[in-house]
Amino acid sequence: MERITPRSVLHMAVIIAVALVFVLPLYWLTISSLRPEDDIFRYLNPFGPWTFIPNRVTFDNIIGLWTGAFARAIFNSLFVAIVTVIVGLAVCAPAAFALAAIEFPGRSLIFTAMIVSFLIPFDAIAVPLFYIMRGFSLQNTYAGLILPGVGNGLTVFLLRQFFMGIPKELREAAMIDGMGWFQIFWRIYLPLSVPALISAGLIMFIFQWQAYLWPLLIAPSNDMKVAPVALAQFSTEYHVSFGIIFAGAMFLSLIPMAILVGFQQYFTGSVAATGSKE
Amino acid sequence: MSKWRNFAVAMIFLLPAILSVVVLRLWPALLALHQSLLAPRATVYSLDNYTYIFTDPVFLNSVWITLLYSVIVNPLQIAISLGLALLMNNKLPLTGFWRSIVLLPVAIPQSVSAVVWAVAFRPDGLLNSLLAVFGIGPQRYITSPDQALGSIILVVSWIGVGYWMTMLIAGLQDIPKSLYEAITIDGANAWQRFRYVTLPQLRRPLTFVLVADTVANFLVFAPVNILTNGGPQGSTDLVMNEIYTSAFINGDPGSASAGTIVLVALVLVIVLVQFRLMGDRGEH
Repeated sequence: MERITPRSVLHMAVIIAVALVFVLPLYWLTISSLRPEDDIFRYLNPFGPWTFIPNRVTFDNIIGLWTGAFARAIFNSLFVAIVTVIVGLAVCAPAAFALAAIEFPGRSLIFTAMIVSFLIPFDAIAVPLFYIMRGFSLQNTYAGLILPGVGNGLTVFLLRQFFMGIPKELREAAMIDGMGWFQIFWRIYLPLSVPALISAGLIMFIFQWQAYLWPLLIAPSNDMKVAPVALAQFSTEYHVSFGIIFAGAMFLSLIPMAILVGFQQYFTGSVAATGSKE
Repeated sequence: MSKWRNFAVAMIFLLPAILSVVVLRLWPALLALHQSLLAPRATVYSLDNYTYIFTDPVFLNSVWITLLYSVIVNPLQIAISLGLALLMNNKLPLTGFWRSIVLLPVAIPQSVSAVVWAVAFRPDGLLNSLLAVFGIGPQRYITSPDQALGSIILVVSWIGVGYWMTMLIAGLQDIPKSLYEAITIDGANAWQRFRYVTLPQLRRPLTFVLVADTVANFLVFAPVNILTNGGPQGSTDLVMNEIYTSAFINGDPGSASAGTIVLVALVLVIVLVQFRLMGDRGEH
């Protein structure tokens, strides 16, 4: 740690001021979700101690979130994101394995073609993809919501990089022992790649959790709406209270924030974990 | 002899991923191209849709707004991210914690951020009361044609700069300490160290951030859709919002597809330029 000097104190003060700017809207959203509806705007102007400290705390908004129309949307979001991670890993991990471990003619060509195709940003082709999926009657279905998340170029790339770090000698030894490619993939590569699989899974989870444009197009019905779309629509409807909006916003933020914080700890932890055999 | 056996096995592993690339990226891109070349009720290909959108004042306005937005938002975000990276690249207590706080808005769904900012922008919302502390009167933000684009820029920058900051911090940490030691012995001050060591050494990450940020900003949709719907008076009608409006509000897939093709082409050109710039750097 550095010595405490006037310079480092000033530096620290600037850092804290900057962090406050970024955290202020999130803090405001959190305390507003814990306030009775009447209090949300009451103490904003002029600024006072009660602007940022809730003098009355209620859990009504959080309870209301789970009893109203929002509950279904939250379930949809969770279901879509979790299934995307499972199916997405089942699609991307074998592809990454083939591109990293199997030597076959045309490998670099297929790899380049795949990465270049994924350079087309998903949102840019969302509208034509909507016309295609409508043709297959995938509107307002879970399949329609999930499918775009399962093919992820970043995931394939990340897993391939990780698989390439696994020594060639391991698979050569396994082949001598009579293992086939499927066994090598399943019994050697996957168990050695848990940290990479988790990061890949988190990337796909967050992709779906944040999705807005695609669910807005493919799943507009009340039953199939995902939480970010429902939140945006509730926020313009007068019968939904601000308390509920803030509670929904807080819940939607909490999961990725927990992932972000837990992510860093996970990586430090994974270094220690690889040393101990289970 | 086992070469083609390996090929067959590899294809089984690759099939689902190849299918998803074809269905999720190539097919929609080709469909957009096909639809963009078919004018309404036409049976032969023509450039009519492109002629139409490039003479349509609404689409031209969205191109103009997108360019104006890009010229402001990209340099602004990069300057802020670089400033944050320099500020946060230190060994002071809790550095990781402060960085995480700046990064938090990236993790939150954009629609959530937009909804929260929409409430903050209300006449009786957080921002006006904050301004009142400094004796500044209430502003109209997203309901004013003069302030709406600036408000969108504020929101997307609050969301995004932490991400670019993280990449620039990684770049800063790759700079060899010896370069700073050498120039300090030569008597350089803080500005000279920044100008002659930090900036040139940061060229690669800065190029990457510039390109990735430009692409990301071309694709901004949720904040516009939620906060302004392109208004007031078209002042925030960024191109993604305009494509969405042509397709789903005006029911004009031809124009939407022509707009999509223009956008995809633009993005691909920028990404390829990025690879070119990064490649050149790699050869030295």
